[in-house]
Amino acid sequence: MDFLEPKRQHPLGVLILSVQFLWKLGQQAWPMLIGLSISIGDNFWQNAILASIASLVLTGAYALLYYLRFKYSVEERALIVEKGIFHRERLQVPFERIQTIQLFQGPIQQLFGLTGLRVDTAGSSGSEIKLVAISRTAGEALQDILRSQSSGATEPDAEPEVIETEGHNKTPSQTAGQAHVQLVSLSFLELVKVGLSQNHLRNAFASLALLSYLIGNRPEAITAMLDAVPAFMAPLIAAAMVLLILPGMLLFLMSGVAVSVATAFLRYYNLRSSIGPDGLHAEMGLLRRNTFQMPFARVHLTIWRSNWIRRKLGFETLEIRQAQADSGGQGGVRVSLPAMEPHHRAVLENVLYSDMTENPVMEVLPVRRLRWLLLAFSALPAGLFWLSFHPLAAALATGAWLAFVSWTTAKRYGSFRMTVHSDTIVLEKGWFWRQRTLLRLAQIQGVEWERHVFLERRSIGHVVFHTAAGARRFSYVQKSQGEKLRDFAMNQHHAQNSRA
Amino acid sequence: MEAPSNPEIDLSSVPPLGALHFTAVSEKYRIMRIVQWSVVQLVLALCILAPVLLSGLFEGVKVSADFGDGYWRIPFLVQGLLGGFWLAEEWLGFPRRGYVVRERDITYRSGWFSRSTTTIPYSQVQHIELTQGLFARWLGLKHLKLFTAGGSGNLRIAGIQEADAQVLRSVLDSRTGKG
Repeated sequence: MDFLEPKRQHPLGVLILSVQFLWKLGQQAWPMLIGLSISIGDNFWQNAILASIASLVLTGAYALLYYLRFKYSVEERALIVEKGIFHRERLQVPFERIQTIQLFQGPIQQLFGLTGLRVDTAGSSGSEIKLVAISRTAGEALQDILRSQSSGATEPDAEPEVIETEGHNKTPSQTAGQAHVQLVSLSFLELVKVGLSQNHLRNAFASLALLSYLIGNRPEAITAMLDAVPAFMAPLIAAAMVLLILPGMLLFLMSGVAVSVATAFLRYYNLRSSIGPDGLHAEMGLLRRNTFQMPFARVHLTIWRSNWIRRKLGFETLEIRQAQADSGGQGGVRVSLPAMEPHHRAVLENVLYSDMTENPVMEVLPVRRLRWLLLAFSALPAGLFWLSFHPLAAALATGAWLAFVSWTTAKRYGSFRMTVHSDTIVLEKGWFWRQRTLLRLAQIQGVEWERHVFLERRSIGHVVFHTAAGARRFSYVQKSQGEKLRDFAMNQHHAQNSRA
Repeated sequence: MEAPSNPEIDLSSVPPLGALHFTAVSEKYRIMRIVQWSVVQLVLALCILAPVLLSGLFEGVKVSADFGDGYWRIPFLVQGLLGGFWLAEEWLGFPRRGYVVRERDITYRSGWFSRSTTTIPYSQVQHIELTQGLFARWLGLKHLKLFTAGGSGNLRIAGIQEADAQVLRSVLDSRTGKG
């Protein structure tokens, strides 16, 4: 399939675009529309229906025009898009600038066998190119063209490599020359596990917030309801409230679990991922299905997260970050892969950070001072006991709190560790919620040695690694160690980049 | 993947950065910082004292019905403390501003209370910007800004003599990109 001639997207793109525009319009203008419906005349429903018909027609017409004026093509080494209704724009993305190629299928695209294609660059935000509807074969062909040339000769890391794994997770797609090693793929049961091991409390609070937002929007309904209740019922209602506390809390937690499982299904349904010679490949999602294709050399940070539950189930969540547009953290692609098991991690790190098989060059631990700082900060809330309790009770509570806190700070302090390999830096932190960040010295954008004046006196400071995907910091390091680390990092960086 | 040649590194042979000599930025830049400090302090002080001054100028204006006449002393004190801290940071931190240009990277050091030393390899610099405001032009200074991917490693070296800035720029231009 060739894309030399500028052409339009699939005709059904009009439908998808109008749904998108309608959604955007609804998001931004619904208070105005409702306000207008109320204020003009007195027939609310008639006005509302008129307004929705008008906005349907408007967005439909706009989508049609947008569709007609949108053309894409592939020139020798660039993807070209011409768009704009009144203000014409010609976007040109050279292949070597492409960070990720992402295919996505919302409900409509899935229904008609279409696909959307998004191309991200490391430029400022808004510079990505998005095609909403092309046929699936065209999408895959286009992806192949873009990928074959974007991960080409410029990237030393994207060379083919055959990875042997421990037998049971080989895929049928593994052929002689093209090694595609399957990474994580989720079965139904595993998906439920992923859902169950999410942070329920956060999700429960989110659903509670949504509920209170919905109720809070209509306070008059509640007051009306309460007014209608006769006076003698008031103590009964109060008693019922007390009885409802326990079921309420249970409901609260259950809703959290339900939200967790539901979001896990929406995001990770039928997740499949693999690594091949051209990079990492992943596809996931129920209503909106995303397919990512990411060359290894474009991976700037990998972050492994796990909490206690996940470790008990034997998996971690992997987050892969690419270059972001600015330090605001916006832009840039982040792909999350849940349920990575230890052998998946071994396979991935073998490809991305091949130097990790050797012994580490250096191991850096924070100074002991950090332990006391952690302890002091986590002991502070004990002051609240003295404000509200009888002194004796407060003393007891403080003692218990201090015992608990000294145990957790010992654990937390022990969890900070930086391991330096010849090209890879591993930052570990966290004890209950554990986080392990890997970055490559060849890719760092700069190293910073940072401290304030009191730390300087004690020869302590923080090391900050600036990467294209954001800064990563390792705090409270001995000065001699930190400076040695910085010199080593720069030296390795230059050695790697002069070879390429 | 072709295994890159990877000889063991003797950590004691890595060139240390701490031993290098930092080039200070122009002494004129200290004047610029102090003027900037004074302007900001003056504006803040005027804002705080505005009610008092107004009541002095016009007979009928009361300073504040709610707090009494002396309330302005509190924000004034706060401003004095913060301004003093800022002045200390500028004055004591100025001699600490400096840069080192090496074959493959540039290092900038700054700050008195919160100190930082940032090293950026030329190979990762995306573009360079030389800027000059009105006041800087009178003093003959230029500011150099280095942009890196992701933006978190951006570096601004302020207050370099114009001639030095041009030299620095040509050095960087020849080394950035394909270093």
